[in-house]
Amino acid sequence: MASPMHQFEIHPVLTLPTVNVPGLGAIDLSINNSILSMMIAASIIVLFFALVTARAAVVPGRLQVIGEGIFGYIDDLATGIIGHEGRTFFPFVFTIFLFILVMNFLGLFLVFTATSQLAVTATLAVMTILLVLVVGFARNGANMYKLFVPAGVPWYMLILVTPIEFISFLLRPVTLALRLFGNMLGGHVALKVFAGFVVSLCALGATGGIATLGYAGALLSLGGVVALTSLEFLVAFLQAFVFAVLACVYLNDVVNLGHHH
Amino acid sequence: MAAEATSQPADSAVAHTGESTEAAQSGGGLPQFRFEFWGGQIVWLLLIFAVLYTLLARVFVPRLRRVLDVRAETIASAVEQARMVQAEADAQATAAKAEIEQARTASRALAAEAKAKATAELNKRQAAEDERLAGELAQAEDRIRGLRDAAMTNVSSIAVETAQAIVERLTGAKVTAADIKAAGQGAV
Repeated sequence: MASPMHQFEIHPVLTLPTVNVPGLGAIDLSINNSILSMMIAASIIVLFFALVTARAAVVPGRLQVIGEGIFGYIDDLATGIIGHEGRTFFPFVFTIFLFILVMNFLGLFLVFTATSQLAVTATLAVMTILLVLVVGFARNGANMYKLFVPAGVPWYMLILVTPIEFISFLLRPVTLALRLFGNMLGGHVALKVFAGFVVSLCALGATGGIATLGYAGALLSLGGVVALTSLEFLVAFLQAFVFAVLACVYLNDVVNLGHHH
Repeated sequence: MAAEATSQPADSAVAHTGESTEAAQSGGGLPQFRFEFWGGQIVWLLLIFAVLYTLLARVFVPRLRRVLDVRAETIASAVEQARMVQAEADAQATAAKAEIEQARTASRALAAEAKAKATAELNKRQAAEDERLAGELAQAEDRIRGLRDAAMTNVSSIAVETAQAIVERLTGAKVTAADIKAAGQGAV
């Protein structure tokens, strides 16, 4: 039986030359299954919205209703959290939500989940935090220190609060990356383990005698796989949503720094 | 994390080709922590994300936003128009009501006038009739009085004649009517 970790292995699909970037070392630009699934995810998003907006009418068709629903959902989220400036950051939040969502779902339909690769989730997290930092310094300049010094807190509390705030800010990209990575990894490992049980318990049941009970265990495991699969669909949506919400919250922290709304 | 990935020695990145599966099986641990694959994934992810972001931000989001704005505008203008039409209808209804009220007042006045006119006419005609009847009555009374007077004259001449005849029969003397009249006058 294949190891539950086998599904996370990277296989080259199309070999491309390795580029030697000075200061970073050699980077292999070969297209592997992880990159391929990212490309498929991006293509699906582009294709879907091309179809949705190709004949966008004031009175929407079925597909347009779905597209507008997703659009409105994230739009409300961004404006709800960031406020009237939510529209500025909406395309980023929308892109990151759609990309993670489709990669998560592709993991359930295809054999590879790009979001179960720490390289992918970490890049997305670092990208988000970098955007937060760039926007924060561009908007607030030296006032960025207020991020770690909450207004209206007495000085003796600040001694305690400021380091905590600073450390929690430093941990944001880490938690952002590990949350998505861990959820996808754990869910798919659990699915594979239960699915493996079905096969091995059936093999056990085939030996006859008291081991026939193995069939019952296999049936139980199969039920577990079905239940876990439906749970994974929920997790796939939820993790994309959580990533988008947190991106909004972190952006809100620096966009509306100092004035709570 | 990006730094970690790229700080891997170049030889591991080069060495992976063709022996990734063996390495995973023999090395153990998560395949995600085989950092020779990180560089490619990160570079491609950034590329794909950039393309996706550009397409969404430049093409699809504005398109959807425009549709939503146009829809909101259409609905708002339709509601505004409906409100205007309703206001107009309300105004028209008020005007019609006022007109009806005015017409009712006018008709009431007309009816009252007609009634007054009719009453006056009736009274005049009745008065004329009354006058005519009174005249006729007076005329009739005059005629009756005349007839009675005539009858009364006849009665006295009859009485004179009767008295002449009685006197003649009793006395054999002829008396004139003037005598009898004088006698009668004297008796009375």
